[in-house]
Amino acid sequence: MMNKLFNVDDEVYPPSEDTYLLLEAALREVEDDDEVLEVGAGSGFIVEKIKNKVKCIIGTDISPYAVKMAKARGIDVVRTDIARGIKKQFSLIIFNPPYLPTSEIEQLDDWLEKALNGGESGRDVIYHFLDSISDNLQSDGRILLLVSSLSGIDEVLKYAEKQGFKWTKLSEKRLFFEKLEVYRLVRSR
Amino acid sequence: MVMLMKRDLLDILACPVCKGDLSIEVEEEDEKEIIRGRLHCEKCDEFYPIEDGIPNMLPPDLRD
Repeated sequence: MMNKLFNVDDEVYPPSEDTYLLLEAALREVEDDDEVLEVGAGSGFIVEKIKNKVKCIIGTDISPYAVKMAKARGIDVVRTDIARGIKKQFSLIIFNPPYLPTSEIEQLDDWLEKALNGGESGRDVIYHFLDSISDNLQSDGRILLLVSSLSGIDEVLKYAEKQGFKWTKLSEKRLFFEKLEVYRLVRSR
Repeated sequence: MVMLMKRDLLDILACPVCKGDLSIEVEEEDEKEIIRGRLHCEKCDEFYPIEDGIPNMLPPDLRD
């Protein structure tokens, strides 16, 4: 995740190992009639790859640079925090969260840091997402969530259960210094 | 893929504070979408700008 070879834009997280793992899972998951939301869509890389395979798709990002970049790719984006200000319910929600514990990150204090920084434990933004995302999920909707060992996988899954989701592991990838996993979450009740 | 038209925007977006419905003021649009304008929540008396075709739904206290 700490890829220093930025070729997208210095302020926007470039597609990396986690992006590709989530994209592969998303390509297997999407159906023609899916209405899709990608939270934290960044440069719009994933949206662009699946937009022609679904009924509709929009992305959100809190970064002004990310939404501009995604928009320039012809993607519908909304600048917001997670999905605040969006009332629509989606059949599929995709999220590759900022998950690095603060101590792992060079303190840059810019929008790129915000795209990486998951707070003290690395789980702050994931928890924030799980707290409210139900409002935007259709009753039989699915969430694809990327989780890294750097922010603790068991803790995230426990929190998801507490928030009313059950999970299935779809894929994993071991890197030199971390393990990435993609989970499908659906409502447990 | 469908672009977000005026009507779609109002179907999808709500006030980030009270979650109520919004109205829209268009300053510039093309055949596809609203390029510049603002969304208004009457209840909160708050405006949410649309710039370069991108609605900014951050509540005022989170905007930059």
